[in-house]
Amino acid sequence: MANEPAQEYIQVTYKKPRPYRWAAGEYLSRLYRECRDNKRLMTVKCQHCNEHVWPPSKVCGRCKKPSGDNWVVVSDKGSVVQFTYTNFPMFDPHVGKYMTEEHPFATIDLDDCEIYWVAKLEEKDKDKLKPGMRVQAVWREEGRGGGLDHDILYFRTIEE
Amino acid sequence: MTERTVEILEDSDRFVFPWQLAIPNTYPAGVVGSKFLIELRDNKKIKGIKCPECNQVYVPPRSTCKYCFGELSELVDVSDKGTLVTYAVSYEPTPVQPVEGTPVIYGIVKLDGADTGFVHMLGEVDPKQLEIGMRVKAVFKTKKKRVASILDIKYFKPLKI
Repeated sequence: MANEPAQEYIQVTYKKPRPYRWAAGEYLSRLYRECRDNKRLMTVKCQHCNEHVWPPSKVCGRCKKPSGDNWVVVSDKGSVVQFTYTNFPMFDPHVGKYMTEEHPFATIDLDDCEIYWVAKLEEKDKDKLKPGMRVQAVWREEGRGGGLDHDILYFRTIEE
Repeated sequence: MTERTVEILEDSDRFVFPWQLAIPNTYPAGVVGSKFLIELRDNKKIKGIKCPECNQVYVPPRSTCKYCFGELSELVDVSDKGTLVTYAVSYEPTPVQPVEGTPVIYGIVKLDGADTGFVHMLGEVDPKQLEIGMRVKAVFKTKKKRVASILDIKYFKPLKI
């Protein structure tokens, strides 16, 4: 047995693409258009409960009624509520590849509205990340129109 | 960051995203699974594994008998010819099919000397001529193209008697 050569082990690899299409719909497309054309965040305020619906949707997530047509501009500044530090680039299912850079993800409380949104942070040094830090969106200058998390590159720390 | 493609619907200016969710996967074939695939690659032979207790021959081989749960190690040769147990013809192309082009004919073949069905594809046959119980024979790829994969067998073709 001792002189027997070691067995070769086979790894079975496969790479199966799952292409599919999803339509952003009426309300989300309006937000994406505003991002693309005007570099601003907009959403709808529910006509029943008067709260911001995020992401914009035809049906209010809180009261489950039609959210109406009251579109308002939302601040692209906010405060970090919590964050997750990642050591590797995340997968981008839009293109089926890994992103070229890793960024921490954070829940951001946008100013003057009840919107908590998970987005990327520019700051990669985990010692400098802390809850409550003030951040502002950095918009992509060219090639916007790929959706919200594409048009906003990340949130940059600001001093206030 | 990688660039995204987006379709804009005419008239309504709405966004449609063509997504590309790739699921790359690797798994180890295991002890007997590796031996099975290596035999396909090196010797063009299909191996089964025999349970001496239950007198069953499994193709492809597995390390545990499904009846007595005994550990199996006795690899045996099975024929590359067999009988078609059942089949399905797929005319709709999907991104997950193992080969290019349609129709893809999947079949379960009970190889001579085996007690289980072996799932593979059928080729060199008109789907209309398929018949349960027909005799088929494995067609292997050329030596250069064999890479210890289940697709080292190209397909099973009808055996002309």
